[in-house]
Amino acid sequence: MTVKERTAALLPPLLPLIFCIGLAETAVRLGWVPSYLIPAPSEVFRSLVEDRIELGSAAWETLSSALVGLVLSFFAGTLFSVALSSSELARRAFYPYAVFFQTVPIISIAPLLVIWFGFGRPTVIASAAIVSVFPIIASTLLGLKSTEPALLDLFKLYSATGRQTLWMVRMPFALPQIFSGLRIASGLAVVGAIVGEFIGGGGLGSVVDSARTQQRIDRVFAAVLISSILGIVLVGAVNFVSALSLGSWHASERKPS
Amino acid sequence: MRIIFSLLASILLVSTGWAAQPAPVKLQLALNWKAEPEFGGFYAAKLAGYFEKRGLNVDITEGGAGTPVVQMVANRKVPFGIAAGDEVVIAQSRGADVVALFTVYQINPQGIMVHPERGFKSMADVFNSPGTLAIQNGSPHTLFLQAKFPKAKVKLVPYAGGIAQFLTDANYSQQCFVTSEPLLAKKKSVSAKSFLIADEGFKPYGTVVVARRDYIEKNPQRTRDFIDAVRGGWQEYLRAPENANTLMVKLNPAIDADTMKEAAEIQKPFIVSTGAPAGDLGKMAADRWTALTNQLQEIKLIKAKPAADRLFQNF
Repeated sequence: MTVKERTAALLPPLLPLIFCIGLAETAVRLGWVPSYLIPAPSEVFRSLVEDRIELGSAAWETLSSALVGLVLSFFAGTLFSVALSSSELARRAFYPYAVFFQTVPIISIAPLLVIWFGFGRPTVIASAAIVSVFPIIASTLLGLKSTEPALLDLFKLYSATGRQTLWMVRMPFALPQIFSGLRIASGLAVVGAIVGEFIGGGGLGSVVDSARTQQRIDRVFAAVLISSILGIVLVGAVNFVSALSLGSWHASERKPS
Repeated sequence: MRIIFSLLASILLVSTGWAAQPAPVKLQLALNWKAEPEFGGFYAAKLAGYFEKRGLNVDITEGGAGTPVVQMVANRKVPFGIAAGDEVVIAQSRGADVVALFTVYQINPQGIMVHPERGFKSMADVFNSPGTLAIQNGSPHTLFLQAKFPKAKVKLVPYAGGIAQFLTDANYSQQCFVTSEPLLAKKKSVSAKSFLIADEGFKPYGTVVVARRDYIEKNPQRTRDFIDAVRGGWQEYLRAPENANTLMVKLNPAIDADTMKEAAEIQKPFIVSTGAPAGDLGKMAADRWTALTNQLQEIKLIKAKPAADRLFQNF
């Protein structure tokens, strides 16, 4: 890409950002909104710079917990989906309970997680895993069930075993759905980790909790900003893996020629 | 006949009298926790009709962990709210003009509750021994204690309210109102010992009624009426807490009637200074606010120091 093309690509998403930041800054500077309600972006920026060491280590803690939670929910969710897709009866029996994970209000069970797992990491990881598991189950299941029937017939014709069919056709063809589930799950894992940290301690959750207590709304916003960057980083990582594994053959990742 | 006429006339008078009375002013008082003896006087004022008598229709709303009452008052969402003294100072230092009008507690009942089996003799023992201490993240009393015991061995964890962890973990200590949580633990057959944070030298007024300065200036009479009713309510609650307790048990069934009664009794010395006249109930002193402001600056929670006489107003 030339510099001109790059600018053209970056400009559309940057303009609304610049406009919003400008508007917030003006509103606070001119006294339309008091700074204890909405902090001026410059204050948030100052907090990002002043507290960079604390925010940096908190962000790393949150990111690593979210990542572990995501990996856990990926393996558990995929295994669960494979089991469910293998039999209609199993799916009918257990799928409704998977929906439980989708609807569980994590903030209300977080205090229980502390009682089960204790303060610190285990609670945070469990919280991240619980909120991120459902999109993985739902999309993996959909993916496993939407293999092209002709291909399945072909495998049957060659009397392939169930395991062969799973690994060689159904899984590869489910990959696009699995990745789209992972994209949703990765953002949720960050949210789950932060909620877990409210109760379990550590990471950005603690920074937000403490900043809120001290009425430091600039710091709350700084932490929220970082947490959304973490979400973007995780989604970006999933996109990267998705492009690597699908780029050579699947329409969703193939470059237009 | 004449009697009937005079009766009719008096009925007419009374009814026009009613009609002439203005509709009561609707007001909200936002609490920062569930209904409990800490707020008994407010409910007593409502039940005894002290608000009504002054033409006020006050709606008392309960809060929970993290209800941002000071910010709600600052943002005009509610005219009156409950906050801790230190929150008022921090709010003002950040540009929110919120003023303290009445304090329930002269001695702040905020404390640390521990298992007596651990044999702690002082707050220093709690901090300098291993174990877990649940305490509100980043709050002034936490920072004060951390600064006072810099070589703490205890592991600090977030405080989420309740006593569930305390009941199950023998090495667990937590922040509390010494007038409340130790009683709840006792109710569950777990004994508790507590240490007052005020005894360590951090003494913000506790459970303070706050309002915006411009609200007070625009509505001086209404504010005075409100505070008068609140003071009356607290005098009533100190004398006879039964009615308010019955109501509060209904609102917050987590605390049973016996515990409400016991807590109401235990908190009396925290509310009434010995020898002070009843009319002084809830009044605050400038030197306490100055001391608090200095402490908050020492622990770096505030940069700008608000003047003590702008932090509170006695009615």
